[in-house]
Amino acid sequence: MSNHIELSNIRQSFQTKESKVTLFDDLNLSIIQGESYAITGPSGAGKSSLLMLLSGLEQATTGQGRYVKAGQSQSLDSLRADIGFIFQQFHLLPELTALNNVALPLKLRGDKSALNKARVWLDKVGLSHRLNHKPSELSGGEQQRVAIARALVFEPNFIFADEPTGNLDQKSATEIADLLFSCCQENNAGLVVVTHSEILASRAKHIFLLENGSLTNRQIKTQSRDIQRAISC
Amino acid sequence: MLAVALTHHLKLAGHFFTQEYSHAHQRLLRWTQGVLLVFIVTLSQSSESIQNYLDNNLQGLLGADAVLSQQQKLTSAQYTALSKLTNEVVVTQQVKVTLSHKGQWQQAKIKAVDNQYPLQGELLTSPTLLGSGQPTYGGPQLGQIWLDARLFASLSLKMGDYIQVAEQRLLVARVLHHEPDRLMEGHNVDMRAMVNAQDMTSLGLSADIIHYRYLIGATSQQITDLLKWQQHDLPAANIHHKQGEHPLALFWQRTENFMGLASIILFFMAAIAIEQLAQVHMKKDQFFTAVCMSLGASNNTGLQVSIFKWLIGLVLLLPVVLLLSTVFHWLIIYWLKETFVNLHWQLQVWSIVKSCSFVMLIFAVFQTPVWFSMYNTSVAKLFNSANKGLSHWFNKVSSILVLLAVAITYSDNGLLTLMMVTAIGITIALMVFLSWSSLTLGEKITQRFSGLLPFSLFMMKQRILSKSTQILGIGLCVFLLLFTLMLLKDLGATMTSYQRQHDGNIMVTQATPLQLTFIEKLAVEKKLTIRQAKSFMYGKLIAVNEQSLVEFSQKPSESMATFKRSVRLHWNDQVPQNNEIVDGEYWSSGTDSWQQISVEEEVMTDLGFVIGDRLTFFIGQQKISFEITASHVFKSGAGTITFWVQMPTAASMHIQASHYNMASLELDDQQSSILATLWQKYPTLRMISLKEITDRFDRILAMITKVISGFSLMIILLAGVVILASISALEAQEKKKNSIIMSFGFSRATCLKLNVIEWLVTASITGLGGVLGTYIAGLLIYQSQFSLTYKPDFIWLTFTLFVILFLVTTLGVYASRNNLRSSVRQLMADN
Repeated sequence: MSNHIELSNIRQSFQTKESKVTLFDDLNLSIIQGESYAITGPSGAGKSSLLMLLSGLEQATTGQGRYVKAGQSQSLDSLRADIGFIFQQFHLLPELTALNNVALPLKLRGDKSALNKARVWLDKVGLSHRLNHKPSELSGGEQQRVAIARALVFEPNFIFADEPTGNLDQKSATEIADLLFSCCQENNAGLVVVTHSEILASRAKHIFLLENGSLTNRQIKTQSRDIQRAISC
Repeated sequence: MLAVALTHHLKLAGHFFTQEYSHAHQRLLRWTQGVLLVFIVTLSQSSESIQNYLDNNLQGLLGADAVLSQQQKLTSAQYTALSKLTNEVVVTQQVKVTLSHKGQWQQAKIKAVDNQYPLQGELLTSPTLLGSGQPTYGGPQLGQIWLDARLFASLSLKMGDYIQVAEQRLLVARVLHHEPDRLMEGHNVDMRAMVNAQDMTSLGLSADIIHYRYLIGATSQQITDLLKWQQHDLPAANIHHKQGEHPLALFWQRTENFMGLASIILFFMAAIAIEQLAQVHMKKDQFFTAVCMSLGASNNTGLQVSIFKWLIGLVLLLPVVLLLSTVFHWLIIYWLKETFVNLHWQLQVWSIVKSCSFVMLIFAVFQTPVWFSMYNTSVAKLFNSANKGLSHWFNKVSSILVLLAVAITYSDNGLLTLMMVTAIGITIALMVFLSWSSLTLGEKITQRFSGLLPFSLFMMKQRILSKSTQILGIGLCVFLLLFTLMLLKDLGATMTSYQRQHDGNIMVTQATPLQLTFIEKLAVEKKLTIRQAKSFMYGKLIAVNEQSLVEFSQKPSESMATFKRSVRLHWNDQVPQNNEIVDGEYWSSGTDSWQQISVEEEVMTDLGFVIGDRLTFFIGQQKISFEITASHVFKSGAGTITFWVQMPTAASMHIQASHYNMASLELDDQQSSILATLWQKYPTLRMISLKEITDRFDRILAMITKVISGFSLMIILLAGVVILASISALEAQEKKKNSIIMSFGFSRATCLKLNVIEWLVTASITGLGGVLGTYIAGLLIYQSQFSLTYKPDFIWLTFTLFVILFLVTTLGVYASRNNLRSSVRQLMADN
């Protein structure tokens, strides 16, 4: 079996001034590298918290999380080096050009060909003509393309995207969704998208609904439809 | 309607103020404002107390309605003219002598009075050393001398002893407690003695070393007439009267100006801190205004709320400021009592109101860019909160203008201010260059290497604009702090080492030709070494380009204070070895054109003289005009005796005036008894021993140390605030950067390492910039202002560099620990 993330019997709750709030209880979920997942649900249902638990950046109140890599079971802490994030607000560093924003994770890892790889990825997302533009000089769609390139440039095993099209118009949203799914597929990265958008969610192979503290699997689609729709990455 | 709207806005501002109260940017703003307000309010309170003291003191301690004083006795024609103006005149004579008794000596000021003395007020004396002062009418009897208690102690005298002054034996008869015209001694702490006027005549002292003082009883009208007469007939004489200025007023004004000038540095730092904080304020207030506008309100709402919020902050700060400044005011008054006897602490309400309003006005100017940006805001700012552009430059220009205004208002010493401002300018340029070059070079060099250092350099280079503001702010604080500390250290060291570098351990500050001949003869007999001897005569500057000195310049300065008295005029035919010419042309040897002078450069700057100006001096009994043809400065290595004003040798032949000499002697311990012989024969010979010089230096140094230590504390406090403000300004940016780095799969520990590296680089640039700036300031200021050769101690500088590196990095990393409390979740929440 490919590398995967497993959450078993997870319970997440927190204390407010008045009462204790339980986001979800007895939650079980497996995320396999190379497949795509969408998590939908109403605001406040705990979608972002689930994303944080899956990425190993937060601890569950109870339950167990595992990262199985090359057949070896490890704690979710070891997942950190193998993940990338994409945000609704893009979160590019405003002082850096598109090229430097994409090269950032590689530079941090001491990759000497960081700029070349970044150039290749910007070309893949269709921004080879915007290499030296700063975020403020790019449209929302273009900024999200840069963010996708930045998340994938260091070839993580899993990508977590939080409302990646939430800030974009319909046309840009469609383009970004196409790009995101095709790039993850081409890179064999597992993709977990948290979204309110049914259109975006429908692109994923696995669609989950998080509501009233429980996670339900809405459908499993064949991968072929996605491949047909995907543009080249 | 308007009142209702304002009340609503005020309530809203109060609400926001409470919410933001514990936010870092508000806390730092309060600290900046608080420190500066405490400093200025304390300064103005102390100043006001002293001004009041001087005014009241003048009324009670002049000992007359007016006092006319000059070096010479009034001629009989002048005395007759004075008697026509008023018939109440009492003459006193003062002379500085060295009294000796049983091998001990002490310099003192002897006053000779007649039986008419005192004119007004009470003369207090007592027949025993421990007795309290009794009102006494008339001065000492013939052959008697009255001494103050300190003089008794220093010469180990007993009542009934005889003391030898020149050829005269005088009986020690009473203890002198208080003279009603004591005020005229100003802040002079000379020991005092009093003799009968006829004894003074018998002492046979040279007439031109006696200072004559005429105590005059006069009505207001008579004083007016007296002033007119003095200006016309006795322009070189000094006159003080009850409606005029206290003799200490100028001294205090200069002290005040020095403190004011020093406060520029504090204002400068406050401006940096507020400028850094303004970035946060601007963003927050602009956002609020944009939200208000999107809800249908005008941009005035945001503007008014922002102004009210700022005002509430200041108003709530005032009680703390008043309490602290009152305590400091009390402490300062307590300390100043040594100089201003009977000075009392008193709350000066009007002065508080004035100084608070002044500082608040300056704060308002510093804050204007925030309000300006508010005025220009639009709903579009909700989507794009760029704060650069016009308001960014407006911010810088307004701060610089305010600082310049403060500098001009307080400047006492034009050259020093100019040099300080130049040094700050050079340091800024240096720091900008250092930031840019080291980051560019560092990034280029480390491009081929992997790791966190190349990444940090890369990030810093990419964010050079915001980073350089931080570097500049901290760097300037480091520079100002370092320079202040270096000055304190070097002044102390120079004063201590002065005794060793000094050519000779006895300085003769005034010897008549007869006295000098005697010293020369003695030198041959006793094998003393005379290191230097230079002639001079006294002259009082009375006009510049036909304008009186008072009309020409009203700006108090060190030079002006000295030129209000007679100054020494030296003559020579060649530029002295310890001088060099910096402007104009020095006369050639043997010139006949004797009405030309060379003036020291600092004096030229302070008084605004230029080459070609005509200075009129009152020398002897004549008015003589000179043209400034050259300007000179002191050059070390060839003796320390130098003069502010020099003229050709030919001038000394044309001018009828007493000649004196300055000289330096070298005496070993066994030869010190010669001094007693010298002073017994010539009590008016003005000599100062190495020990006295050292004691005086120690006293001055102790005072300077107190002032500079207190001042350094203020700078350290503000430097800390500036560092925190610069971190606060970049906090949001840093937090985001850390979150993004964590979203690439890195841990918090990596962010901490990056943070440490970034602060190390920042501290290196600021430290290096600060040390280089201090070095340049030393080169510029030391020679010109303190006549010191600047010899930087590189070990000390390197040590300081490492201390700065350590302190800035530690404070930076500690203060920015908040930035590490970021997480990927915050990026998600930032929707």
